[in-house]
Amino acid sequence: MSQMSMNNLSRRDFLRGLSALSVSGLLAACSPAGTPSGSEAEGGDTGASQEGKTISYWVFWGSPGAIADELLADPELGKYIGEGNTIDFKSGVDQQARLTAVAGGTPPDVGILGEYLDFMSRGVVDPLDSYIETSEVISQDKFIPGNWEVIQYQGTVYGIPGFECFVRRGLEFNSRMIEEAGLDPENPPVTWDELFSWHETLTKFDDAGNLVQYGIDPYDAEGGTGPGNDGWFMAESWGFDYFDPDTKEFNLDNEMMVQGLETMGEFIKLIGPDNLAGMRQVEGQGTWGGAFNAEVQAMIIEGYWHPGETVNEKPEVAPFNRSAWVPVPEARRGTKIQFGGGHMAMLFKDGGNKEEAFGVTEWIQSDYVCNLIFDKIGWLPAYLPYFDNADQEKYPGLKFYFDSVKEATYWGPFIICEIQSFIETQYQQVREQVFRGEITATEAAAQLQDEAVKEWKAAGFA
Amino acid sequence: MSVLTQIRQITPRERRNILVGLLFALPWLIGFLGFTLYPIVSSFYYSFTRYDLLRPPVFLGFDNYVNLITDDQDFRIVVYNTVWWVLFSAPLGVLSAFLMALLLNTNIVARSFFRAVFFFPSIVPVVVTAFVWQFLLNIQYGAVNGTLQSLGLPTVPFLSDPKLVKPTLILIHMWAQGAAMVIFLATLQDVPRSLYEAATVDGANALRRLWHITIPMVSPIILFNAVLSFISGFQYFTLPWLLSGGTGGPNQSTEFYSLFLYRNAFVYLRMGKANALAWILFAVIIFFTFVLFRASGRFVYYAGNSR
Repeated sequence: MSQMSMNNLSRRDFLRGLSALSVSGLLAACSPAGTPSGSEAEGGDTGASQEGKTISYWVFWGSPGAIADELLADPELGKYIGEGNTIDFKSGVDQQARLTAVAGGTPPDVGILGEYLDFMSRGVVDPLDSYIETSEVISQDKFIPGNWEVIQYQGTVYGIPGFECFVRRGLEFNSRMIEEAGLDPENPPVTWDELFSWHETLTKFDDAGNLVQYGIDPYDAEGGTGPGNDGWFMAESWGFDYFDPDTKEFNLDNEMMVQGLETMGEFIKLIGPDNLAGMRQVEGQGTWGGAFNAEVQAMIIEGYWHPGETVNEKPEVAPFNRSAWVPVPEARRGTKIQFGGGHMAMLFKDGGNKEEAFGVTEWIQSDYVCNLIFDKIGWLPAYLPYFDNADQEKYPGLKFYFDSVKEATYWGPFIICEIQSFIETQYQQVREQVFRGEITATEAAAQLQDEAVKEWKAAGFA
Repeated sequence: MSVLTQIRQITPRERRNILVGLLFALPWLIGFLGFTLYPIVSSFYYSFTRYDLLRPPVFLGFDNYVNLITDDQDFRIVVYNTVWWVLFSAPLGVLSAFLMALLLNTNIVARSFFRAVFFFPSIVPVVVTAFVWQFLLNIQYGAVNGTLQSLGLPTVPFLSDPKLVKPTLILIHMWAQGAAMVIFLATLQDVPRSLYEAATVDGANALRRLWHITIPMVSPIILFNAVLSFISGFQYFTLPWLLSGGTGGPNQSTEFYSLFLYRNAFVYLRMGKANALAWILFAVIIFFTFVLFRASGRFVYYAGNSR
């Protein structure tokens, strides 16, 4: 007789008990850890429990994670989200995770998660107009108009600009490289022809024909943006609307688009498409504008964050950073382009703690949060009251962006098109075919139009 | 005896044993039903719908399949890229593994060291592999091109020329065949020495011994590795994704089937179309595997079998 039997516990009983325990453990482990319980799951508006509520707040960037402790240490946080409540902050949430969470009904209470238009158009985020009406912090007049435009869908506000917004159009250049090339940094190019002339002067090859330095890759960073929350740089520069949200008609096959593809393609042809692809493969592992920081690329089309990010990432290059207006075609000479897009915090329908979650969208406008992000990362909000306190000359080149808000003569429109991600990808593909000489710009524009119309129908928006 | 009669004859003790058995199998059963069977069945259903994850699916019949095959320009490109990749990478990968195994099966100096070295790429995460090759072969910053440049020679756009990038990926693939190599090595060590001795006595040289003894004896493993290579070739994703920065570039030359599927699912939110793509891929893999097994009777030797 075994020892177990002697203790009135047979081997079979032991195994049976063990299996029951295992199954119970497994079932317990399978329950979603992040699922709010009790009042939180039902909306969370029934008052704070004794221990306080936990508001889940996710952002897709990784960099705010590095200052998360400092952010959450704000002594005035309770003023926005309720005393005794806390924030469960997650940064670097990747695309599949956030989409799955939203689709699976377990989103955060509030989040800056990208895919804004997808979320708005598919009805998974809460309208915020009623919250805004009663808010002392948030109102339309306190935000840059361009930034307020992107948070709406069919006239309803679904997001509050936050963390990284402000304006996104500037020609950044390295004054040291410009001077070395015998060019005048005080008179930067304003048209595409002038920019190409600088590009030619700045581009250098070694004796074996290898690229050593180049003027500008016009498709790098903001220059390469397709339709989306950062606008569509080419369409803004040539001044056409690619889509009419009222008639639901695409305007991609037009003369301006053809000119844009041809003109910007010439810059790539000069440096060689393979060189460009090589540069991108390296930058694809890191951040935008790596070639600018490495002083291989002398100019880049970027946004307001560039001055601050350069200081944080490459302080030895930052002193040479200058900012100017982005180029336009000769016919639009004198047009000063700006675009106010960027990111927004949204309240998800399946999330809880609504009032407190909206409090988070107010909190991220506070001087405490904005200062930390401005100092440690280099980003700015769209919140006008903050700009009175912000050091507008903190980083070389930054002042241009503050001034541009008042001086811009053309604000790029934010066009609502539900298949913008598709068009963006197709745009990247056809422009490469153009600068590789596989198709003409005219064919590319026609192809883009055709593909967009087909996708519009296939995606169920026709 | 009917099934019902059999069930009635189960004793309480047997019933209890069955229940206990089921209880033990329950974790796996739950996993299988929830994480395998349900996704497969739902994926099949969604392939007939327009579904964007966030709104309810709309039934479309065969539209996703028909549109993909008849009216999708990108589909043709990714099918060409993928078939090209499978046809070249699978045989060359198997060949590379086999040759490495042959080399390491000889009495070379520091054999154990070399075995570890050749196997090493298999245990390195693909992300690391991508970084290593990126910084070796990149046209601007790569060590190889840096050396060429410092010698005053033109650089080679291994990863940025659409014509060169797939052959470069094949080279990387052939380098990372450690797992298949180990299987070949184990099989090679099982080939009876007596066969080689008899052939040597009969005057067969090394090449003839390889052709008439080694290859037939390891042919089942060649088939095994070839099938695995074909299947993984159709699913090729991580390395081209990382090397192209998720673009499938340059110029869509590394836009393989799985990248296209991913893009449709998670970028365009076309889950219905992505599911249709997945089922087409499944059918193609089944077909290729079937053909390979059917054809294997002609070139695979099973010792002790009548075939």
